Amino acid sequence: MGDMRMAILEEPIKQVLTIKNYIGGEWVESKSKKILDVVNPATQKVLAKVPVSTREEIDEAVEIAKETFPMWRNTTPVARVRYLFRLKELMEENFEELSRVQTMEHGKTIDESRGETRRGIEMVEVATGIPSLMQGSLLEDIAVGIDEFAYRQPIGVFGIIGPYNFPFMVPLWFIPFAVACGNCVVVKPSSEDPISQIKIAELAEEAGIPPGVWNVVNGGRDVVTGMLEHPDINGICFVGSTRVGRDVIYRKCGETGKRVIAQCGAKNFLLIMPDANLDRTIRSCMTSFYGNTGQRCLSGANLLVVGEGLKEHEYNAFYEKIVNAFVKAASEIRVGYALDERVQMGPLRDTEKKQRLVGLVQKGVDEGAKLMLDGRNIKLIGDWPHDAFLNPSVFTEVTQDMYIAREELFGPIANIMRAKTLDEAIEMIHNNPYGNASSIFTQNGKWTRKFVHDVKTGNVGVNIGIVAPMAFFPFAGMKQSFYGVLHGQKECIDFFTDRKVVIQRWF
Amino acid sequence: MEIVTASAAVSYIGKVEENSAKLYENLAQKHAEDGETFLSLAKENRRNKKSIEFAYHGVISDKFEACFCFDNLDTDNYSINTELPEGISYPDALGKLVDTEEKIQKFLLDAAKQSGSLVPDVSWIFERVGKKRNQRVAKLRSLLDKVAK
Repeated sequence: MGDMRMAILEEPIKQVLTIKNYIGGEWVESKSKKILDVVNPATQKVLAKVPVSTREEIDEAVEIAKETFPMWRNTTPVARVRYLFRLKELMEENFEELSRVQTMEHGKTIDESRGETRRGIEMVEVATGIPSLMQGSLLEDIAVGIDEFAYRQPIGVFGIIGPYNFPFMVPLWFIPFAVACGNCVVVKPSSEDPISQIKIAELAEEAGIPPGVWNVVNGGRDVVTGMLEHPDINGICFVGSTRVGRDVIYRKCGETGKRVIAQCGAKNFLLIMPDANLDRTIRSCMTSFYGNTGQRCLSGANLLVVGEGLKEHEYNAFYEKIVNAFVKAASEIRVGYALDERVQMGPLRDTEKKQRLVGLVQKGVDEGAKLMLDGRNIKLIGDWPHDAFLNPSVFTEVTQDMYIAREELFGPIANIMRAKTLDEAIEMIHNNPYGNASSIFTQNGKWTRKFVHDVKTGNVGVNIGIVAPMAFFPFAGMKQSFYGVLHGQKECIDFFTDRKVVIQRWF
Repeated sequence: MEIVTASAAVSYIGKVEENSAKLYENLAQKHAEDGETFLSLAKENRRNKKSIEFAYHGVISDKFEACFCFDNLDTDNYSINTELPEGISYPDALGKLVDTEEKIQKFLLDAAKQSGSLVPDVSWIFERVGKKRNQRVAKLRSLLDKVAK
């Protein structure tokens, strides 16, 4: 019959890696004595040893980036993007390895990792348009014989602080644009899953990007503090929790006069209207609530079953139908080591995150919500240690004041709630302090128009559960989900450049 | 084997196309009189595999439901077999190939229907490759008619 069985895909990391910093085009061992294990959350095997670098090491990287900046900013935009074209080609050639590394170090499914790789590549693709995108504007004859024009100039050195949930893609929301604009960067990957950023830096080196333009310093709080306090870092790009983004990054950047993009936490609502395509909507909900094991700022958190136009008994029947379909679908999700192509949901990033979520499920129960599906009962495809695995959970009878309904849980837990009308649903969204994303599932144009127009979230989906903007749109966010003025992706070209206005007259 | 993810479907159909290509290449050696036809089918198999993988890698993104795009897509229901029994006669082999191509077509069209808007470009290429199978079936039937005469 020919061998057509599904197997676990081959692991690209075969031995424990020793992670180094990449400073000034050299791979240098950290002087730090503090070394952390990077553990595959599915197998619990150690993949790499990562250093917790010192303040001196971040200072050294910033110094070299600063020294490199004049050379790089004087390299023409056309020449700069040629390096990115080469990098893009190398990323395509290494697509599968880059994706499997993400699955190994983070735990996400191979489909999700490939999606992350693709979106990372798209950032590089869009950044290669810098010779057009970075152009300024000109108006001749603002008075007879006088012209005025504005152009963009690179600024200097930027610090990029990556999160653990998208170890490959998120730093690429910023790096290619910063570099293409003529800046130098110092990247701090998440110490929980830093390998992806090491792989991409290796490709940047192979692409010939000059030493000192793209630097990587591994570590934790000391490296972040070092970036925030360093006078030669002109701006910081951060993706992570609201607590850190607002109280540490945004505040500190204000104090030190740095530009800042801080994309933060979320509590996203999905609305199911009575006319929604049930089959498609439920599948979309599974992706939204349980994709990436719920560890993403675009994940669905609260599902609102909206009874717009329904009589009470019709609404009750509709609500029951949604609950039953949702719970059934969630209970059938295949959980396991995500290099197995049958698997639909991988583990959490680590055991601590699992334990926190186990506690939050209990908190929901204690608050009075009804646990319809208890993900603490572990069922896996394959024989893997349970340490970081959690199956999907579903709560009903959740009220807005409950912790589980208000705060970001960042795991595979769904709350199903009632809203009698579309107005009530929108009000519930607005009562929540976050404003990252929301979605409506319906076939009704009038409802959709009202929702899209009125809802105060940065990213809005219509029959889309994960509203992940393409590289050539900003990754938006409102309220406590975003701190700063400009967003990541294409919009950050303005962030990475200064405007200079020239008024010119010749005597 | 039940398929639920886009990755599994693309892997599976990739193996089917690759195994089919090898089968047609073997037949081309064995039946040189129809070798050109078999080699063109093998070439098309490899092109299909590439097109499907290209579509998948091009569109794959977390905004689509790649891990939840199939339901009840069980390869056991299609019994696709890309090997021929030892010593099978040429007419029987051609008959079996027609049967296999029709099964592959059904698998592809079912997969396209199920994944629909959930992973759009993948479902589109499944449908395109599936529909094109009609031409292969017609070619194989014409060979069968020729051999039967």
